[in-house]
Amino acid sequence: MITVTLFLPLLGALLLVVLPLRGERSLRVAAGLVALAPLVLLMVVWSRFKGTGTFEQIESAPWIPTLGASYMVGVDGLSLALAAMTALLFFAAIIYPVDWRGKPKAYFALFLFLETASLGVFLSLDLLLFYVFWDLSLVGMYFLIGVWGHGEAARRSALKFFLYTLAGSLVMLLGVLSLYLSTAPHTFDMRHLIATRPLDGTGLAATLTFSGFALAFAIKAPLVPFHTWLPPAHVDAPAPASTILAGVLLKMGTYGFVRILLQMMPQTFSRLALPVAILALVSVVYGALVALAQQNVKRRIAYTSVNHMGYAILGIAAAAAILPGLGGGFTQTRSLALTGATVEMVAHGLITGALFLMTGSLWRRADTYEISELGGLARRAPIFTGLAAVAAFASLGLPGLAGFVAEFQIFVGGFPVYPWLIALALLGLIITAALFLNLLQRVFLGPLPERWQEFRDLDRGEIVSLAMLIAFVVVIGVAPGWLLAVIDSFVRPLVTR
Amino acid sequence: MRIPSEGSALAMLALPLLPLLGAGTLLFLRGKRSVLPIIALAALLLTLASAVWTALSLPVSGWAWGPILGGRLAVAGLGRMMVILVPAIAAPVVLYASSSNRRDSGFARLLALLLAFVGAMELLVIADDFLALLIGWELVGACSWALIGYEWTDSARPRAALDAFLTTRAGDLGLYIAAAAAFAGTGSFRFDTLPQLHGTTAAIVAGGLLLAAAAKSAQLPFSPWLFRAMLGPTAASALLHSATMVAAGAYALARLAPIIPVPWLAPSIAALGLATALAGGVVAVLQTDLKKALAASTSAQYGLMFVAIGVGVPAAAGMHLATHAAFKALLFLGAGIALHATGTLELSSLRLGRALPLTAITFAIGALALAGVPPLGGAYSKEQIVAAASQTGLFFTAGVTAAASLSALYAGRLALLAFGPDPNRGEVRPPNGAVTASVLLLAGVTLVSSVLWFPGVAASVAELMGGELAIGEGWAAGASLVAIAAAGIACWLLWRRGDLVDFGLSPKVRLPVAEWLGIPLVADMLVKRPVLTLARTLATMDDRIIDAGVRGAARIAGYVSRLFGHSLEQLVDAGVNSLSTATRLVAEASRMADDRGVDATIEGAARGVGAVGTQSRRLQTGLSHQYYLIVAIGTVLLIAIASLEIVATHR
Repeated sequence: MITVTLFLPLLGALLLVVLPLRGERSLRVAAGLVALAPLVLLMVVWSRFKGTGTFEQIESAPWIPTLGASYMVGVDGLSLALAAMTALLFFAAIIYPVDWRGKPKAYFALFLFLETASLGVFLSLDLLLFYVFWDLSLVGMYFLIGVWGHGEAARRSALKFFLYTLAGSLVMLLGVLSLYLSTAPHTFDMRHLIATRPLDGTGLAATLTFSGFALAFAIKAPLVPFHTWLPPAHVDAPAPASTILAGVLLKMGTYGFVRILLQMMPQTFSRLALPVAILALVSVVYGALVALAQQNVKRRIAYTSVNHMGYAILGIAAAAAILPGLGGGFTQTRSLALTGATVEMVAHGLITGALFLMTGSLWRRADTYEISELGGLARRAPIFTGLAAVAAFASLGLPGLAGFVAEFQIFVGGFPVYPWLIALALLGLIITAALFLNLLQRVFLGPLPERWQEFRDLDRGEIVSLAMLIAFVVVIGVAPGWLLAVIDSFVRPLVTR
Repeated sequence: MRIPSEGSALAMLALPLLPLLGAGTLLFLRGKRSVLPIIALAALLLTLASAVWTALSLPVSGWAWGPILGGRLAVAGLGRMMVILVPAIAAPVVLYASSSNRRDSGFARLLALLLAFVGAMELLVIADDFLALLIGWELVGACSWALIGYEWTDSARPRAALDAFLTTRAGDLGLYIAAAAAFAGTGSFRFDTLPQLHGTTAAIVAGGLLLAAAAKSAQLPFSPWLFRAMLGPTAASALLHSATMVAAGAYALARLAPIIPVPWLAPSIAALGLATALAGGVVAVLQTDLKKALAASTSAQYGLMFVAIGVGVPAAAGMHLATHAAFKALLFLGAGIALHATGTLELSSLRLGRALPLTAITFAIGALALAGVPPLGGAYSKEQIVAAASQTGLFFTAGVTAAASLSALYAGRLALLAFGPDPNRGEVRPPNGAVTASVLLLAGVTLVSSVLWFPGVAASVAELMGGELAIGEGWAAGASLVAIAAAGIACWLLWRRGDLVDFGLSPKVRLPVAEWLGIPLVADMLVKRPVLTLARTLATMDDRIIDAGVRGAARIAGYVSRLFGHSLEQLVDAGVNSLSTATRLVAEASRMADDRGVDATIEGAARGVGAVGTQSRRLQTGLSHQYYLIVAIGTVLLIAIASLEIVATHR
């Protein structure tokens, strides 16, 4: 089932290329149908999910037996939540209308290829396979930004994104090697690495390996000061690519922090948690402040990702900081912190994904991202305004929406470990409130300028995509029990181990 | 969500849900203007009925989100009175809005927001743990943002809404901290575990709660946000100042301060309240905008409630909260009628007594209650605060008495200037029937609250709220009544001399004080500007770093495109055409895991990108099993490079 889920988009991509489909409309429908399949299949996987605390529904096949590498996929609470979010986001992004630049076939094929790569990162249980998918996702995103981005700058931004994150993944490669070499007999099996933790501790090798991984994940997430690839990539990417970049690719960084660093090297992480937490705090505050100063809609939203991923990593670091066995009281707060961080990954994917899709609608109509050129659009586009307002409030952490469920748990869970860091991180809540409400006010409210008299509201296709994402944001905000149960099945064994 | 079997628990869930559901219905049916008020009022009356039921049955309920996280709801203590008060005050206010804002294009939105405001406030009131409280707390704030910015085409209003939201959210952070610290201290968010707190944790909970309450209830130094809130429609102001939003701070403190074991908490609340009561009184006396003067008086009156909580008599605070809610909503609606009639709120140009006699009478009733003139209920509750303060000695008694005389002075001033007689005043636009009915309703409630003076009534009301009133010193009651009378006489004399608008003070002296003692300017200078400057500086710095990176990338881009001799778009075009070839090659590459095949692969990769090749060569110097491994990794990198390379050769 998971293998089918994983490779269906790739197969669909090949079919799109091979089949004599012409025209944006039919290609869009075909690609949408293909992208719907993983979503449905993951729902089936979800319904079969038992929450045993280990990996379930494992499928494997020999790949490079001489190296101890195999094809192996499966899910636990963490990967299931992220994979489902990924499938949902891809579906919404693929059917979202953009300017296909006369190359719809290549666009949809690349997008579906990217979906397989992204799902692969979360579903792989073999470190080498994980690494393959990780790098493949870079390739897909590189072309999406470079070809369908805005203008000449897009290619530079794409290349910068590619080189920067490729550099990260090369550092990660060293980490992968180091972990691999510490096993005997050598294996890339992530289950084995999690169960035996061969390179956990305080030695030089462990510290260096940890740092390599941490650097790669900090670039991907991104944490300040490794975030500088992010703003140009986002601004120049087509909106659905931005959605995937922010919603899915950034999550690979936080996923790595949990899956590899927290699960395979908990003692090393415990010792290095404070520097990670401080970087996360800097990202929270710095990301929010720099976002506040941005006068370009897309750049502003892009920087809020730095802020939100900072929250997620702060939660992970808090969960990592205290080793089990130091008193039962911390089990609950560690559990809250890690659950909150995981919900943040899902929530940020949905919320920021929706926000970036909206910037695409804005671009299609106004051909600008400059806040100062916009205003009063609510008069012409009430639906657009309403959806943007919900997404903005969700992003600034209003209760009743998904972001609050995530951030509240991170704050409460992190507080006993890092009271000062959490107190300072709360300042991010105010700054994000300021920057989002200011954005709403200057884009949608106030008098309508003459030049936007003909501004169109969202069309049906756009509304379907956005409403789907916003619906999940609301459901997770009001009744997150189903999501928290799945995440808890993964978190509980981890914090009580 | 766990739905308990008992009906009263369901009724409690209806308290927040019914108004929210009503709000959704209103938005859904927004085109049918004539039925909207009926739906809104029906929802409020049903909520009111549920409130009465729950106030009598005291249900406890809750929900679980997960194994640790969950909220607890209960109607308890002061909440018994509050659940009823909120819809009871909201009903006349919604009636007012139904009539006066009927022609607005956002009519359905206004009514829906008012209902949502009620629902959020009811959630806040029935919260029995920090999670539920925080949810209600923030939702109330968001509703007030939307209400203040209701007339959004004028950009000043959304801006004011933003300022108000940010100010109160700064306080909300205190509640986040308090929740986190309470959980750290007790392993739970529940209020009934708060007495177990001790040490630093208890102090953090206390400080956080005080910060949140002060911001919400517009105490110093947060008070000016209420001035910004004045840009909202009258109905929103009336509700925001009486039973919702501002009431939240005093309510939470009245419920929680007595059970948090921190010695400095109570004195701090009392001191902050007294300072705000006096400062707000002075601001209200000198302010010449009717609504702003009323707003300053709200801060002052909540200051008095804080004093009552701080000196240990939360029941007196609760009672004053209730009487204040009725007369303050009444006064705001009166101000709305004045604005509707004349188009201005400037006290120098109103004097509508002859033109609008009925409104003048109802406004006078509200003003007398605000001034604390017996036998109105407002006077009784204020005397209870004086009595509570008198238990602690001279300092607070003198302070509260001074604040009470200031209230009398500004209440009388507002009544005389806004609705005093003016023989030269011509015809004005009169209020219509529904508006008048809403004002009469609130005036009726204000008059009925006089029953508090009957022996025994107040004690049973206090008992209903789960508290006791203080037995004050007789001299204190006498002193405060004398002070109120003196203020009344002073007010009358100034009116006769014609000095009541500005007291003969020059604007240079009066204005800075009337605009909240210059606090907004200081906040602007010390908080807003530095933060914005910091943000811009960081952003500029960030841009420089990025620019440097982009320039570097551009150089590499030039190199890469020379290498391939093609533009990226052509590459992709060609790439799609040969995608199947590429896939086949990749598949073969991964199948050929033997030495030779992989060797060739690595060499191919190294030819493709120099940097990666160097990397591979460096790594190849290791042991033989490392070599194998790197070979495998090379396969991976190949996939990244293959698409480029194949395309290049294909062309």
